[in-house]
Amino acid sequence: MDFNGLSIDQAPPILAPLRFFITAPIFGILAGVLLLFSDSATLMSRYSIDAIVVAHLITIGVFGSIMLGALTQMLPVLASANIPKVKTVATFSHAALLLGLFSMAFGLEMSNTLLLWLASLLLGSGFLVIIGSMLYAIKGVQHFTASIKGMLVSLIFAFMIVLMGVYLLYGYGENDVTELHYIVANIHSVWAVFGFAGILIIGVAFQVLPMFYVAPRFKQFCKRRVVLLISTGLLIWMVLSIFAEEYALYAKLWIATFFWAFATTVWIKFNKRKRPVSDVTVWYWRAASLFLTLGSFLWIYDEFFKHEYIVMVGILIGGGFILSIMLGMLYKIVPFLVWFHLNALGYMTIPTMNEMINKNLSRLQFVLFILSLVGFVFSFYMPGFLMPSSLSFIVSMAILEYNILAPVWIYRATRKKKPDFDMSAFSMT
Amino acid sequence: MSSIKEYLTNDHRRCDDVFAKMEEQAHNSLLDAKELTQEFVADMERHFQMEERVMFPEFETKTGMTMGPTEMMRQEHSQMRNLMSQLLEAIENDDKDKFFGLSETLMILLQQHNMKEEQMLYTMAQQHLSAEADRIVEMMDSLIVE
Repeated sequence: MDFNGLSIDQAPPILAPLRFFITAPIFGILAGVLLLFSDSATLMSRYSIDAIVVAHLITIGVFGSIMLGALTQMLPVLASANIPKVKTVATFSHAALLLGLFSMAFGLEMSNTLLLWLASLLLGSGFLVIIGSMLYAIKGVQHFTASIKGMLVSLIFAFMIVLMGVYLLYGYGENDVTELHYIVANIHSVWAVFGFAGILIIGVAFQVLPMFYVAPRFKQFCKRRVVLLISTGLLIWMVLSIFAEEYALYAKLWIATFFWAFATTVWIKFNKRKRPVSDVTVWYWRAASLFLTLGSFLWIYDEFFKHEYIVMVGILIGGGFILSIMLGMLYKIVPFLVWFHLNALGYMTIPTMNEMINKNLSRLQFVLFILSLVGFVFSFYMPGFLMPSSLSFIVSMAILEYNILAPVWIYRATRKKKPDFDMSAFSMT
Repeated sequence: MSSIKEYLTNDHRRCDDVFAKMEEQAHNSLLDAKELTQEFVADMERHFQMEERVMFPEFETKTGMTMGPTEMMRQEHSQMRNLMSQLLEAIENDDKDKFFGLSETLMILLQQHNMKEEQMLYTMAQQHLSAEADRIVEMMDSLIVE
């Protein structure tokens, strides 16, 4: 019988997840700066270089990182699945992804073949090492809950989109952008949003909403079937979009319906939650559910307008739904990690979670973030909105960085003091 | 008679409900939440003792693992007991910010603790102690808190 995961000794070292969280807002700031200097007409096209770079600074640099960091922490706790050599894997993958992302951004902007090759190598290995290790860890799980199944399926999608991403980057490097390139790019983006991020969020929500907000549990049908039904939809959509594009809309409708239903369910569950607490994390869940609803409808609507609105769909779903959930989660996970690790080391007189991050700053960060999203949507019609929205986004990401670092500084300062209790007597080793 | 896993899991949910009521009351008035907080702390203490005085020793005797998962759970119980005593202190001092800071921390600690128990320890206990399940549940049910 495997007892791993039941001990603080088995919990990953605090820096394994934290390193991903600490660098995430920096890429948000970089994306904001690029938006500030981009032309709004260029950004309207999803395949323009600027749009691709901004999209990946956000998807890989911000939410990809946050998701991987969170999984590093959650897999041992939620699933008793311990990632082998977690410290090495996290350090390597994090460094490879950072360098890979810079290489990709500069490689694409300067059409530099060497940098693009380097980017494919670094991003490919960075992602595959950590995703592979996580899949390996899940292999040993004995009791599969709905959340763990969600994580597993999401990681499989992640694996596939990374392979596609490497192919796409290689195409840019070789200057060999064929019709197949666009087909793969389309599958890559839809699977990344709905397969990797979407399914992961749904899987985690099954567990997190009832637990942390004492909201009503999800129905058995949701927990047992929804992930399977969405994955099937994504597979069917892929086949149709390759071989019978005229029918792909039906698969899209199928996928969008489940996500819209999820958004509505989340909203209702928050209305019925037993905990009255309404902090910034609740606001983020609420915002995510609204943006997801709008995004799902627009994704279908867009089909009838020659994909004119696809970038707007990206803002609503990528920024409004996925990023909102990620940011909300950070506000819980970072202070808790700091508290938990310090407490387990025997420090008893430490600030509570709520005292680690200034409430007003987290509210300000939320407001600026939402304003920037709304502004980005409007900048489609009024290009003048792009500059203030980008500035608002940059400031919100800078505040986020500060809000993440504040608990980390508390951790560092406390570690310099002597613990109140010596817990080494309880140590297993 | 329900299984060990079912019995203790249901007790977790019952404590969650009292926790939510406590917070709701504290939201309106901290001093009025004193009674519910005491009820919550007492319910939790009872749950801890059902495990520490009945289920854990039975599990340890059966499996021979005294320093394994049960020891880790005891350690987390002591972390939670510490937070709960601070919770009562915050009410005495009428410090709402402190109270909600502590309750938030306690909530997350408690939930991840419950998850480990429900997904791992209770399942293992049920497997190892299935023959004695009825007796153990009865003992936990009739426990007098010390």
